[in-house]
Amino acid sequence: MTIRHIPPFARARGLGAAGHGTAHWWAQRVSAAGLVPLVLWFALALAGGAAADHAKLVAWLAAPLNSGLMILLLMAGFHHAALGLQVLAEDYIHSGARFVAVAAIQLACFAGAVFGIASVLRVALMP
Amino acid sequence: MIVDRSDEVPRLKWPRRFPVPRNLGVAVHSRIAEGKSWPAPEGATRIATLRIYRFDPDGMAGPRLDTFRVDLDDCGPMLLDALIWIKSRIDPTLTFRHSCREGVCGSCAMTIDGTNWTACTRAMADLAQPAMIFPLANLPVIKDLVPDQSHLFAQYEMIEPWLHAETPAPERERLQSPRERAALDGYYECILCFCCTSGCPSHWWNGDRFLGPATLLQAWRWLADSRDEGRGERLDALEDPFRLYRCHTILNCTRTCPRGLNPGRAIAEIKKKMIERQG
Amino acid sequence: MSHRRPKSPNMQNYRPQLTSVLSFGHRLSGVALSLGAFGLAGWLMAGASGQDAFGSAQALLLSVPGRIALFLVTLALFYHLCNGVRHLVWDSGRGFELRAIYAGGWTVVGTSLILALALWTWWPA
Repeated sequence: MTIRHIPPFARARGLGAAGHGTAHWWAQRVSAAGLVPLVLWFALALAGGAAADHAKLVAWLAAPLNSGLMILLLMAGFHHAALGLQVLAEDYIHSGARFVAVAAIQLACFAGAVFGIASVLRVALMP
Repeated sequence: MIVDRSDEVPRLKWPRRFPVPRNLGVAVHSRIAEGKSWPAPEGATRIATLRIYRFDPDGMAGPRLDTFRVDLDDCGPMLLDALIWIKSRIDPTLTFRHSCREGVCGSCAMTIDGTNWTACTRAMADLAQPAMIFPLANLPVIKDLVPDQSHLFAQYEMIEPWLHAETPAPERERLQSPRERAALDGYYECILCFCCTSGCPSHWWNGDRFLGPATLLQAWRWLADSRDEGRGERLDALEDPFRLYRCHTILNCTRTCPRGLNPGRAIAEIKKKMIERQG
Repeated sequence: MSHRRPKSPNMQNYRPQLTSVLSFGHRLSGVALSLGAFGLAGWLMAGASGQDAFGSAQALLLSVPGRIALFLVTLALFYHLCNGVRHLVWDSGRGFELRAIYAGGWTVVGTSLILALALWTWWPA
């Protein structure tokens, strides 16, 4: 096995500063702040029986306020999840597979949000 | 359950470490074997047992864990005193760094019973029985308790820990009000022992690119200095998903600082400055 | 022959403390909630697919393993929420004294347990 002798200063410098990182950190905090009331609303609504059966679910999401909040929850939730899982991948995957994982996470969360929103709209518009 | 100061020794006896095999997931050349066991000195009544990490770079074996029994009536009250006693009475090959013996130089920083501290300010009475004495976590070991900190110092050098000023030096001092000087309190006192960086899980997983709490605390020390004129360039150098933003506010750093400093707070202040210049 | 220097142990030797344990809990609950988010999207898709599909989804959730999973997700949710608020306080620059870190940490653990249990005793369905 070859031992690579990289001078400490070269190893510390790496490829230089990427020039971004703050936007990701800020977006995580903003989505978190938005999620606090949205999640509480959702938990209380479900506990109050808003989706005990199909008829109740349709009636609940027929109100524009509820379907609107549900869509906001899905958007903020999947955005926050995507950012958080990206951090996870960056932390633990050290090979080039990291980039594949980050891309997969972004795509999966985007798809999840789209499917969720499409379903909310479908239920909201059910007769 | 509530800790007020970093010099409080953990009260719970368990868990001292994750209850996993000591060599779980460890690279082959880093695995620790059982080492020698030295008997207690004759006639000693108060005995403390120390299990110390040993590694001989001139030998062919890997690291091992030796057991020493120290006569507490024959040596000083601190762990460093016990290590010096062992070196002079039992095993002269025991190797460790030490200098000031009063907690201001940072040389004797090591992992003691699973947390990082300076050996000269850790009382023997505060140790577990048997005490586990290891070199600072997650660093290449040169010999016994001496870690290779060259990467950590290279990261420190990278943040350019000196005054950036184009304004020519005045006849006497660059003036600073008492309030401006107070902004450095809690940051200038860092002795670069690297207890914090060595105890940071994020630095364990990404130490190549993440600067770690010690270096970032010093980065804040220079950002907070009113005399410094290079704030923008300093922040540019930190604008990176790894250099600064691997910090997830785990706060092992603040818990373990032997000087009672707060790297967690310093890093939060840096992040606030990064946001401030964006909007 | 120069062989590689060994690396001193990190996780195998370092003491688990409130700081690192709660932080790991935040990460673990976040991963659980990410799976829960996909579950939520799936549940909504079942709702949009009609009464039969939704009925099957509800039956799955109300089965014994389903309830256990839901309880764990609720626990993860409230823990991540409370600890998330603690994180937002830190991000504002406050609460870094050790006393506040520890007191806040225990408060988060207690509050999230209480909220999860309260929701479940209030929600018998």
